[in-house]
Amino acid sequence: MPDRVSIAEVRIDQAPTVLKAHGLGSCIAVAIYDPVTKIGGLGHMLLPRRPQPPPRGSESKFVDAGIFQMVDELVRASANREGLVAKIAGGANMFESAYQTLINSIGARNAKSAREVLTAIGIPLVGEEVGGNRGRTVEFDLATGNLMVYCARDNEQVIL
Amino acid sequence: MPFHELNAVQLDALKEVSNIGMGHAATALSQMIGQNVRLRVPHVTIIEISQVPDCLGGAERLMVGITLQILGDARGSILLLFPQESAHHLLCSLLGRQGKGLVMNEISVSALKEVGNILASAYLSALGNLLNMTLIPSVPLLAYDMAGAVIDYVLIELSQVGDLALLVETVFSGDPDQDNDIKGHFFLLPDPVSLDILLNAIGEAHA
Repeated sequence: MPDRVSIAEVRIDQAPTVLKAHGLGSCIAVAIYDPVTKIGGLGHMLLPRRPQPPPRGSESKFVDAGIFQMVDELVRASANREGLVAKIAGGANMFESAYQTLINSIGARNAKSAREVLTAIGIPLVGEEVGGNRGRTVEFDLATGNLMVYCARDNEQVIL
Repeated sequence: MPFHELNAVQLDALKEVSNIGMGHAATALSQMIGQNVRLRVPHVTIIEISQVPDCLGGAERLMVGITLQILGDARGSILLLFPQESAHHLLCSLLGRQGKGLVMNEISVSALKEVGNILASAYLSALGNLLNMTLIPSVPLLAYDMAGAVIDYVLIELSQVGDLALLVETVFSGDPDQDNDIKGHFFLLPDPVSLDILLNAIGEAHA
C-alpha cells in the first residue's frame, strides 16, 4: 500500500513499504536510500533554501532543511550513513511564460539546490528525472531502491 | 493577518465579496459560451498547504489550470481549474469545435487563457469597485496536467510566509443536464500580507 508523502513532508520507512509523492510540478521529490538495510526516505519539497533567520513552522518544505532532516532520521533509524545514495525527480516549470521570473524558475532552483546539498554532504546522486514542463508522480520502492517516475500527461514511466 | 486568526464574520465577508465578483465573472462566461452559468454558494477553506491538492479533487487528476497574479492595492492569486472534459466542452462552445477529446494546441491554450483573463478581469473589476481598490490581473498562465503539479506554483509564495492557504472557492457550471456541461472551480488566494488591506476595505464598504 503506497504511503503518501504530501507537500512539505518527509517520510522515513523500510522495505517493503512503497513511498509515493503525487503531482510534482515545480516541487522536487528527493529519495535517499540505504541498499543494505533497505531503509529509505522520501521528501516532497517546495522551496530551494531555508531563509535566515529560519521562519516559524515546518522546515521540511525547504530542499536543504528537508534533506538534512531526512539524513538525521535515517541515521537514527540505523541506516548506514556512508552507504546512502539519492535520486531526485520533479522540478519542472509548469507554466511556460515569455518572461523569466524568480517564480517560474523555482523548479530548476529546487533541482539545483538538491544537487548542491547532496554533494555538500557527500551523498551520491545516482539518478535524476527533473526539469521539463510536465507534472510527475513518484513511487519509491524500499524493497528495491527503485524510484518509478510517472508522467500522467504523456502516460510515460521511467524507473531510476 | 495570519489566516488562522480570521473570525467567522471576516470569513463570511470574504465569501460575500468573492460571490459578488464571481457573479460578474459568470455573466461574462455565459455571454462567451451562450449558456446560462450557475454558481454554487462560495466556500472558504483555511487548510495546510500540503492538503490543497486533495481539496482540488485529487493531486493526480488531470486538469486545465489558469493562474493569474493579483496586482495593485492587494496581492494574491487567482486560480481557475477545469477538469479536462469541461475544458473540452468550453473549447467546443468558444471555437465551434467538434469531436470527443480535449486537444491542447496553440489555439486551445490561447482561447482558454483568454477565458481566464476575462473571468479574472470581471471578478477583480467588480471587487475593486466594491472595495474602492485598484485590482488588476497579471498575464494569465496555463498548465494542463495533474492538479498537484498545477497548484504547487500557486503555493510557492504562500509557503514562503507560512504553512496555511486560504481558498475562497466558487464552483460554477453550465447546464448539468446537458452532456456538454462545463464545470469549473474559481479560487481566490489572497496573500496573507495583503489580507488586512482587503479586510479593512470590506469593513469600509459595509460602513
